[in-house]
Amino acid sequence: MDDLEKAILISFDESGAVDSALKAQAVGYCQQIKETSSICSICIERLCFSKLVQVQFWCLQCLHEVLRVRYSSMGPEEKSFIRKSVFSLACYESIDDKNLVRVLDGPAFIKNKLAQVMVTLICFEYPMIWPSVFVDFLSNLSKGVVVIDMFCRVLNALDEEVISLDYPRSQEEVAIAGQIKDAMRQQCISQVVRAWYDILLMYRNSDPDLCCSVLDSMRRYVSWIDIGLIANDAFVGLLFELMLVSGFPDQLRGAAAGCIHAVAAKRMDPKAKLTLLQSLQIRKVFGLVAEDNDSELVSSVSSLLTGYSTEVLECSKRLNSEDGKAVSTELLNEVLPSVFYVMQNCEIDETFSIVQFLSGYVGTLKSLAPLTETQSLHVGQILDVIRSQIRFDPAYRNNLNMLDKTGKEEEDRMAEFRKDLFVLLRSVGRVAPDATQLFIRNSLASAVASNGDVNVEEIEAALSLLYAFGESLSDETMKTGNGLLGELIPMLLSTKFPCHNNRLVALIYLETVTRYMKFFQENTQYIPLVLSAFLDERGIHHPNRNVSRRASYLFMRIVKLLKAKLVPYIETILQSLQDTVAQFTTIYAVSKELSGCEDGSHIFEAIGLLIGMEDVPLEKQSEYLTALLTPLCQQVEALLLNAKSQNPEESPAKITNIQQIIMAINALSKGFSERLVTASRPAIGLMFKQTLDVLLRILIIYPKIEPLRCKVTSFIHRMVDILGSSVFPYLPKALEQLLAESEPKELAGFLLLLNQLICKFNTGVKDILEEVYPAIASRVFNILPRDAFPTGPGSNTEEIRELQELQRTFYTFLHVIATHDLSSVFLSSKSRAYLDLMMQLILHASCNHKDILVRKACVQMFIRLIKDWCVSPYGEEKVPGFRSFVMEAFATNCCLYSVLDKSFEFRDANSLVLFGEIVLVQKVMFEKFGNDFLVHFVSKSLQSAHCPQDLAEQYCQKLQGSDIKALKSFYQSLIENLRRQQNGSLGSFLYILFVESHGQRGVNLRKQFLDMKMLIYHNFAAHKGGLGLLQRVGGSQCHRFSIFSLDLLRCSFFCGSVCMK
Amino acid sequence: MALPNQQTVDYPSFKLVIVGDGGTGKTTFVKRHLTGEFEKKYEPTIGVEVHPLDFFTNCGKIRFYCWDTAGQEKFGGLRDGYYIHGQCAIIMFDVTARLTYKNVPTWHRDLCRVCENIPIVLCGNKVDVKNRQVKAKQVTFHRKKNLQYYEISAKSNYNFEKPFLYLARKLAGDGNLHFVESPALAPPEVQIDLAAQALHEQELQQALNQPLPDDDDEAFE
Repeated sequence: MDDLEKAILISFDESGAVDSALKAQAVGYCQQIKETSSICSICIERLCFSKLVQVQFWCLQCLHEVLRVRYSSMGPEEKSFIRKSVFSLACYESIDDKNLVRVLDGPAFIKNKLAQVMVTLICFEYPMIWPSVFVDFLSNLSKGVVVIDMFCRVLNALDEEVISLDYPRSQEEVAIAGQIKDAMRQQCISQVVRAWYDILLMYRNSDPDLCCSVLDSMRRYVSWIDIGLIANDAFVGLLFELMLVSGFPDQLRGAAAGCIHAVAAKRMDPKAKLTLLQSLQIRKVFGLVAEDNDSELVSSVSSLLTGYSTEVLECSKRLNSEDGKAVSTELLNEVLPSVFYVMQNCEIDETFSIVQFLSGYVGTLKSLAPLTETQSLHVGQILDVIRSQIRFDPAYRNNLNMLDKTGKEEEDRMAEFRKDLFVLLRSVGRVAPDATQLFIRNSLASAVASNGDVNVEEIEAALSLLYAFGESLSDETMKTGNGLLGELIPMLLSTKFPCHNNRLVALIYLETVTRYMKFFQENTQYIPLVLSAFLDERGIHHPNRNVSRRASYLFMRIVKLLKAKLVPYIETILQSLQDTVAQFTTIYAVSKELSGCEDGSHIFEAIGLLIGMEDVPLEKQSEYLTALLTPLCQQVEALLLNAKSQNPEESPAKITNIQQIIMAINALSKGFSERLVTASRPAIGLMFKQTLDVLLRILIIYPKIEPLRCKVTSFIHRMVDILGSSVFPYLPKALEQLLAESEPKELAGFLLLLNQLICKFNTGVKDILEEVYPAIASRVFNILPRDAFPTGPGSNTEEIRELQELQRTFYTFLHVIATHDLSSVFLSSKSRAYLDLMMQLILHASCNHKDILVRKACVQMFIRLIKDWCVSPYGEEKVPGFRSFVMEAFATNCCLYSVLDKSFEFRDANSLVLFGEIVLVQKVMFEKFGNDFLVHFVSKSLQSAHCPQDLAEQYCQKLQGSDIKALKSFYQSLIENLRRQQNGSLGSFLYILFVESHGQRGVNLRKQFLDMKMLIYHNFAAHKGGLGLLQRVGGSQCHRFSIFSLDLLRCSFFCGSVCMK
Repeated sequence: MALPNQQTVDYPSFKLVIVGDGGTGKTTFVKRHLTGEFEKKYEPTIGVEVHPLDFFTNCGKIRFYCWDTAGQEKFGGLRDGYYIHGQCAIIMFDVTARLTYKNVPTWHRDLCRVCENIPIVLCGNKVDVKNRQVKAKQVTFHRKKNLQYYEISAKSNYNFEKPFLYLARKLAGDGNLHFVESPALAPPEVQIDLAAQALHEQELQQALNQPLPDDDDEAFE
């Protein structure tokens, strides 16, 4: 073993047994060898002598890499040497007399790696330099199995590495693939096919594995070679023989089926395709699916049948001739029974594509009404298939009922699996509505009647059908209960299944009743039945808590829809819910499975909706509300009182309990409108205020517990909504507590609350906002990074996502302030310190933010601020420095440079809207600053962009005109004009400058950047070049460039700030 | 098959190769087992790291040597050289980054070149994140190649065991094999349901910020 071999072995060793210094040394050594100029001959030599697979692999990997990177710089001799050597290796030849080892005797992965190297060569050299590669290979096949196997590997690798469309490819790669395919079609593909045929004939009995490889290659190539080469009597005959003769191994038979499938799927003219499909005589394989239900063969044959049927269907859609329709219908009618058989009887993975096919089939029936007898039969069979497929396996009954881990998995799996089947059901329902309803009714009836063991699953499946069917019904059909529905729904309501205890049955029952709730709007006589379905042990009082909680939610939805009709029943409903309500807040440990949306608080929402109606007399209303709120508040008070005397590490159960109570009150309040609470019945408002008093104390006792903060924030949202401005006195203290030491996520939530306040009360919250804004600004500017967020792999971390979310919310917050007449908040004495930072932030975002909507919001902010802060062209400045900042930094960077950049896409709708705002802001600047703006923008900014004089003059005219639309389209053409003009001028100069400075080692890059930065700032064209350059250099220089572009930005900020001071 | 150069244990062990684009969470995923905590920060893997992960099945203990490979070419080391003698594999992509899914076929091809016919699981990671770019419905690659697909969230431990269980069943040739005790996992950072809840609440709050179209608005007009 020589040094290189040792080094390779060591670098492959991951057992931890190798000393890390030694390993680093070995890796370094290999790298060093890799960089020598004779590396290719070193590798080839090793391949002839070393038996170590690691060494062989390393050499092949190295060859592959070197070819990829250095091929164009190799001399013709070296290329020829590599070509000959690699080909010899692939053909099992000796390179010279001495070599002892043959690569083809090695394991599969070595041969595959060699195939990859071959393919790399083919890409570079076929057909121009090495036209004979395939022909030469063919003449070596007579050497036997080893070379044939290698030949298949090369063909397969060629498909995977170059030709197949399953992989992302560059334009260049697609072009190379095209060249190779064209040359092969012309030169050798018929010889290749001939070879395949001969090999199959010769080895079908002795070496099925080899035949499988051949068939695998063939399957891949059928899509782009002359179909006549395969679709002929001889070849198809052979393929059918391979499939049908039971003596062959399943794998081989399956591979032959795969080839026929590829032939059927070949893209061609529908007429020729139909003839081809007809000639295949697919009926011969029908018998195969019945042989053995879950063999590999059945799976391949099913997939062939599905693929074949899909193709026939496609032909029937595309052919308009009577004859074509007739033939395709005939073929479909022939194959469909086998498809149904497969679906019903075989355990295969094909369900997805079969369902897709059946959906396509049903789709074509839509235009064919009325259906023929055969078609009706098919529809019936499809319904049968759906019903049998969606049925749970009774083996899981207990798991599903208890919803243990297995049960949960099975439920998820089934939910996913059912999706497509239900889509199919609904299409059938549209094609044959009566047949579908009848089918569902009969399914339900027979499920109820049968007392067998499958009863639970049958009932569940039948109900699920009814449920899924409902989704496609129109409101009208639902309300009137057309067809059999008017009979089905009442029947459903009055049914109590013997297995109603079962979780799944109970759930789907309630879901189905809810789905058809519109029916009860018109048919109010059924309301008592609906109520008892939800209030008795089928619903909210179901022994399974999972069911009862879902029932609460669904009940809430029913109440929302029918509440006006429920007034007479309020007393009854409340009485029967008493126990549930009490239970909700007394359960200490809420188990995890029940957390989340299904928390049970919906029962309070339902009650709120009922008692919050104005139809309920005030007296009753306050009686109901007191009965609910008082105990809840008392409970919170008691918990808070105890907390003081206990240690600060509060028990999670207690925290959870408080959360539950807040959620309950929150949900309850949703039924009350602001008008009722503040105007017509202030007494009710008072009750909510008292509650707010109590709940806000939670923040004092438990100041920094995130879930509680979050819940109290939600509650404040609610109270702002219903109590209106009377909530103001509570806010300063509450906001202060919520803001203290908040994490990015909490802070974002907090900003949402303020946004709500501002949107609702406008300037009414000015005082409050002035109070909190400085603290918020200080916090946000501390948390948010000053630099741009990193991009590329790894930038997708949770932490960054949270910060991005915060940043986005903060922009909205600033925007909301500015657009609600509150810009003076930024100018208060305490806020003043953050003005500069804030302006820099929105300037940056208005030019660079990746989200166009954020950019738009920032430009809109500028519009408002200019309007608010700049009184008239010559008046005194309200905000010293702002005017020049806007004119110099903002106008130049945002209104000109940011849109000049090619990344600004005029064809994007959002960008176009942003562009509109950018034009508008120019108009506003002109109105406010008059000629000063023109002087700056036209004679400085536009000038620096080398804007021709006549265009600049036109710009002035349009800007002074009143037609904003004309200005917009003119400005767009101006920008496009400048873009064309700038292409290639100073930008490329700067590019060269950069590349050269970069090439000189030892030069202080940073200084170069700084110089360039100044240059860029002062010269528009250079700036433009700088941006183009950023895109060009990309990759390795990214980091440096982000610093660079940041500097650029800082430079413009710097200028702006100077102006402001 | 005994692995070359690997410390041996007296129960069955398998070499599991984990591949996928950089930043998809391969390292975070393997580190959920044992005591590793969810890593918010990203540090690219250089070359490969091998973690022995033990699981307890009804047929006894098994070990996966998880070869956590570098997803970024520039940190590649031996790249597909690490796949040699791999007995099973996980291909990982990030459901919040479309490109990582687009590259799955290429990872699969490179893997199969070296490891023919091994069981492979495709994992869509980070399903806890609310703005997904690759929806479950758009994931179809596994159907073409007969792989198993799981949605996972390394952060919340969601479906952590699934890929391992699938691979263990395939390797043992026993579809009924199951894990008898849970491996020691780091506690979840978030509950999936809570995340959904948070989303729900946020949407609610955003909705609340919108001007309301119904009559409630009249009061302050």
